[in-house]
Amino acid sequence: MVPANRRGFHFDNCKRNELLESKGSITAKFTKTGTTIVGLIYKDGVILGADTRATEGPIVADKNCEKLHRLTENMYCAGAGTAADTEYTTNMIASKLELHRLNTNRQPRVVTAASMLSQHLFQYQGHIGANLILGGYDINGPQLISVMPHGSTDKLPYMTLGSGMLAAMAVFETKWKPNMERDDAIALVTEAVSAGIFNDLGSGSNVDVVVITKDRTDYLRNHSKPNQRVPKQTSYKYPPGSVSVIRKEVRYHSNANQSPAAVVPEVVMSES
Amino acid sequence: MGLKPGEVSTGTTILAGKFKDCIIIGADSRTSMGTYIANRVTDKLTHVVDSIYCCRSGSAADTQAIAAIVKYELDVYATSHNERPTVKVAAKIFKRYLYENKSRLTAGIIVAGWDHQDGFSVYNLPVGGSIHEMNLALGGSGSLFIYGFCEEMYSPEMNREDGLKFIRTALKLAMSSDASSGGMIRTAIIDENGVQRDDVLGSDVKTY
Amino acid sequence: MVPTEHHGDQWEPYVDNGGSTLAIAGEDFVVIGSDTRSSDGYNINTRYDPKAFKFTNNTVLATTGYRADCKSMAKSVQAQITKYAHDHGKEMSVEAMAQMLSIMMYQKRFFSYYVFPIVAGIDKEGKGAVYSYDPVGNMERVGFRAFGSSSALLQPFIDDQLGFKNRADIKPEERELHLPDLQQAKNIITDVFNGAAERDIYTGDGLQLFTITKEGGIELEELPLKRD
Repeated sequence: MVPANRRGFHFDNCKRNELLESKGSITAKFTKTGTTIVGLIYKDGVILGADTRATEGPIVADKNCEKLHRLTENMYCAGAGTAADTEYTTNMIASKLELHRLNTNRQPRVVTAASMLSQHLFQYQGHIGANLILGGYDINGPQLISVMPHGSTDKLPYMTLGSGMLAAMAVFETKWKPNMERDDAIALVTEAVSAGIFNDLGSGSNVDVVVITKDRTDYLRNHSKPNQRVPKQTSYKYPPGSVSVIRKEVRYHSNANQSPAAVVPEVVMSES
Repeated sequence: MGLKPGEVSTGTTILAGKFKDCIIIGADSRTSMGTYIANRVTDKLTHVVDSIYCCRSGSAADTQAIAAIVKYELDVYATSHNERPTVKVAAKIFKRYLYENKSRLTAGIIVAGWDHQDGFSVYNLPVGGSIHEMNLALGGSGSLFIYGFCEEMYSPEMNREDGLKFIRTALKLAMSSDASSGGMIRTAIIDENGVQRDDVLGSDVKTY
Repeated sequence: MVPTEHHGDQWEPYVDNGGSTLAIAGEDFVVIGSDTRSSDGYNINTRYDPKAFKFTNNTVLATTGYRADCKSMAKSVQAQITKYAHDHGKEMSVEAMAQMLSIMMYQKRFFSYYVFPIVAGIDKEGKGAVYSYDPVGNMERVGFRAFGSSSALLQPFIDDQLGFKNRADIKPEERELHLPDLQQAKNIITDVFNGAAERDIYTGDGLQLFTITKEGGIELEELPLKRD
């Protein structure tokens, strides 16, 4: 039992779960977005990029998931790590920012979102597995801030996160320059995410991009699709009669207001 | 207590020294996650209030959070007391957080600066929550490599120019020996007139 | 990181380098598919590291598991096969090779190779033969088999398509009457490998398709797979 006077959050159950896991008991496995997410600042704004693969261990759980989360009209957040944590954290901050916008009648600032995120994650001492790249444009111009699960933040002109971060950073470290043009910057973001997609097994499928400028935000869903499925050689349609019918039953809805003639069969299993 | 798994650390070299007419603080710019450099241009010299700065080492999350809280508390202090906080007050608030949460934190902080009451002061707050007023404070993993150098070369009588050269040389030596220190050398010269900040590459600093 | 070095305080002699193999035996042919990706964790070691090799003019050995063990074992098998050819003045049969491999693997019972081999060839009766093994040498002759990181995806599918499990119209016992022809077998292999590359992160890059027939010997086709 936790003493009633103990202040702050407590993570006793996390310790308990670690102990249980070390003794061989089965614990919940989370969907991880073993991911490549990137962000950079260019001449007129900020660009975020992400791949679209979600994995459960060695299996691809979702081939086209969305890792770019909308916080406000002028702010997006790319998330890596535990899928549920990035989703719920960004949703909560988005809702808080909207209320903040309504209360103050001002466009929310990027630092406000960054403070909210880092304070929330710090409170949970790393147990919320959200690795975030926050990008936006406010009265202070384009801004890019990363937030790590323990709550630390970094402000950089270009950054990469997730399991493909090394591959993507290799591209940025060789090709990024200040004050890039829009098209060049989008191409560089796409190239960095593609490096993650092709060289990191945790990342894959398509490239999502969002471009945020002073008075415009363009969400380019599936901006690049370099991994389309190839058509099948054969049809795998089962011939009629391949599946045995074990039981046949016809059931009807009973509805007091309906005349018996209007009654429609609910389930009809056909016999071949 | 070590870092938690996956935690971002400022495996660091930080340094603050009292000189004839100024305080000089310095730090490398590396933030690492294991073997990966998460940020090669980190600013570990964090402004607290007025002419008071802190140098952060240990967990990035912990030190950033504490610096933000103390900054807030000192702003409240200044308003409610109608008086500028001293370096000593700032250092003692830092100490209170480090000491009362010692089981939860990995943070080694140097508080340094200038105030109207005491002039120049440097406080070292290592992990655990103790507090030490000193002329020259060293911190972070890279500091272990330069105790000898600092012992030999430092003098509080140094002028601004020699002091800056000393701080930069010490940092350069630490960065070349310690794998988790590196990047640029960031310095801040603090005196009664304000703060002057400069960044140089390690390769730009000449050794003796 | 070097795979065979100390991980923490425990020495780990084995690494699973991923990848998949699949062999289908027909009436008078065998097809063996295998991808060419070799990986460690989230890292691709190489996109072209063939898992299947021709051993005689009649046999192919395809192996998944730990690449170093696969290659080491294949080298020993090749040495024995060459020696056999010199000693007896003829090539080893697929039956003999299959039995020999089982013995060689069991000889390392207490420090076994971390491998999942499939031997494929044309037997003495001219029929397609597929032999599958566990890492310590337990051998079984089968009609089709999938091994490796995608085996849990591939095996149930071919059990259905070729083994006619849970089918009302064809009983599993009647499988021999519905053996696939060569083109059907090749189509299934390309389709399932494309499917596996979609959902298994360890399978991809390239597909090697070996075809063994009595008349044509061994033919190899290479096809691209997804590289993400």
